[in-house]
Amino acid sequence: MMAKLTTEPTIYVIYIATTPEKCWAALTESEFSKQYFFGQLIEGDWREGGRIRYRMADGSEHIEGEILSYEPPRLLRFTWRIVSMPALRHLPDSIVSYRIEDAGEGVVRLTMMEEHPEGIDERLLGGGRSGWPAILSGLKSLLETGAAPKIAPPTLPQAMIDYMKEHGA
Amino acid sequence: MSNNFVYVTYIYTTPKKVWDAITKPEFARRYWVHYNVSDWKVGSRWEHQNGDDSGKIMIDGTVLESAPPRRLVMTWTRPDHSKEPSRVTFDIADDDVLPGLVRLTVTHDQLEHDPAMASSISGGWPKVLSNLKTLLETGKSENIWLIKKQEG
Repeated sequence: MMAKLTTEPTIYVIYIATTPEKCWAALTESEFSKQYFFGQLIEGDWREGGRIRYRMADGSEHIEGEILSYEPPRLLRFTWRIVSMPALRHLPDSIVSYRIEDAGEGVVRLTMMEEHPEGIDERLLGGGRSGWPAILSGLKSLLETGAAPKIAPPTLPQAMIDYMKEHGA
Repeated sequence: MSNNFVYVTYIYTTPKKVWDAITKPEFARRYWVHYNVSDWKVGSRWEHQNGDDSGKIMIDGTVLESAPPRRLVMTWTRPDHSKEPSRVTFDIADDDVLPGLVRLTVTHDQLEHDPAMASSISGGWPKVLSNLKTLLETGKSENIWLIKKQEG
């Protein structure tokens, strides 16, 4: 079967009653990320060209990449490589960005964009499209209520499981 | 590339409260500004009325499916009927894992005939649904930008 490649981005916009600085801290500090990002810890060498990682709670690497834009508290943009799953290690880098804009008094608009400049099998888009709403819903709850519901990673879409089986998972 | 718009949000609440927030005017006006009026029976008309109580109809349509508190499907029509209607589906599900967490999926499709509406709703739903989540989780409707903008 011929893989159908896509460069279509996934975009998720969410409004949060917080400040840009608090939203930035929640995105870039591990004591926050572990509460809403499926327990994962973000770490970075916080400069353009620096490395960025999301680690599982046991310390193993899940995501690894390079910081492309670092403009606190407005824009973080980085390459995104899934290193925890052998079937996905060969993929070209995706690019993830978080953009924070003012949206009125005490409210920010956070835009997450996941781009695939080199194209990926379209069956893989479902992973981000199910995962980001869970992650960013938890982030909003954390910032507005002080606690994030412990949302579990959504079940992977069947099309993505099929892809991973074909690629040696 | 499809014109369909899909937005998923997780809300710490009950399906009944989400249903009421969509269907009851006194609830909807707190986060949506405008509000929806209908008896919510299949085949009935629904109206999206202006929050200024002028009775002005912003959007109207027909209820296609109604299964409280889980699923509501309706057509979404410009009041002047200048374009073919689009369709909005609310799916209100319990999270697979976490009790007390609701996964709300709003799907707005059949927009092929109205690109301007497709553009408008893709900006509007994230605002409305972010406000809905805030209201249900914090009880607050003040300090939400959409309402401030309306009043200002």
